[in-house]
Amino acid sequence: MIVVNTETLPGHEIISSLGIVQGNVVRAKHVGRDIAASFKNIVGGELKGYSELLTEARREAITRMLAQATELGADAVVNVRFSTSAITQGAAELYVYGTAVKLKEAESAPPPIPVV
Amino acid sequence: MADLIFLAIYFGGPVLLLGLAFFAGNAIAKRHEKNMNDRQSALSHMQISDISTYFNPDPTGTPPLLLHSEVTLGIDHFRGFLGNLKNIFGGEVRSYQATLDRARREAILRIMEEAHSHGFNAIANLRVAFVDVSGNATLKKKASMVTIQASATGYLSGQ
Repeated sequence: MIVVNTETLPGHEIISSLGIVQGNVVRAKHVGRDIAASFKNIVGGELKGYSELLTEARREAITRMLAQATELGADAVVNVRFSTSAITQGAAELYVYGTAVKLKEAESAPPPIPVV
Repeated sequence: MADLIFLAIYFGGPVLLLGLAFFAGNAIAKRHEKNMNDRQSALSHMQISDISTYFNPDPTGTPPLLLHSEVTLGIDHFRGFLGNLKNIFGGEVRSYQATLDRARREAILRIMEEAHSHGFNAIANLRVAFVDVSGNATLKKKASMVTIQASATGYLSGQ
């Protein structure tokens, strides 16, 4: 399955749209991570726990979106967008959505006629 | 004498913490900047744009792929303190700006590195957004960290 955040795909033509597919995940880190992050926060720097939290959430959300797309028999999901919301402290919702489409190989354009 | 000791503990602790945050925070920020400069120079061939059009794509290669990265940086105590002070009088809050800048640069660099690891040489439709993971902005608490999320499509370009 091809997944992109652009509207078109090079070398392919979109023949039909199967509608919106989506996936969402709300994840929280255990309290130990929150405490570790608050210590790290004194001096700044990357808070890897929270970066990981988002990475895991994003992977899970994309997997759920792809499951929907597969069910619809899509060849690709185009124009994928992400959105997040803060539900409560230490937890994040990651929502991903896109358009499931059917593809066909694009016919190559005829070579331009040389101007004499 | 007892009063003096009490005062030293009462005010000394926070001042010491601020000092530690200032020196360690600056060192971490400088090291991060240097690390990003080194990584960026290795990726100078990458064509990057926020337009959703593919420039001269090579349809025979690997199909385009969705790329994604997220970075959370802590705002050290000293910068947080400066930010709070600035909040009283208003104006440009440079201490937060620098951290946001670093987080954005890091997120974009990670996207470029991911594209490179898949063998792509171009990136289209780059999107960068601020994420309120801990609910600091929504719950009206003071900012203690910034999270940046970036997404893009990697593809092979004939250049």
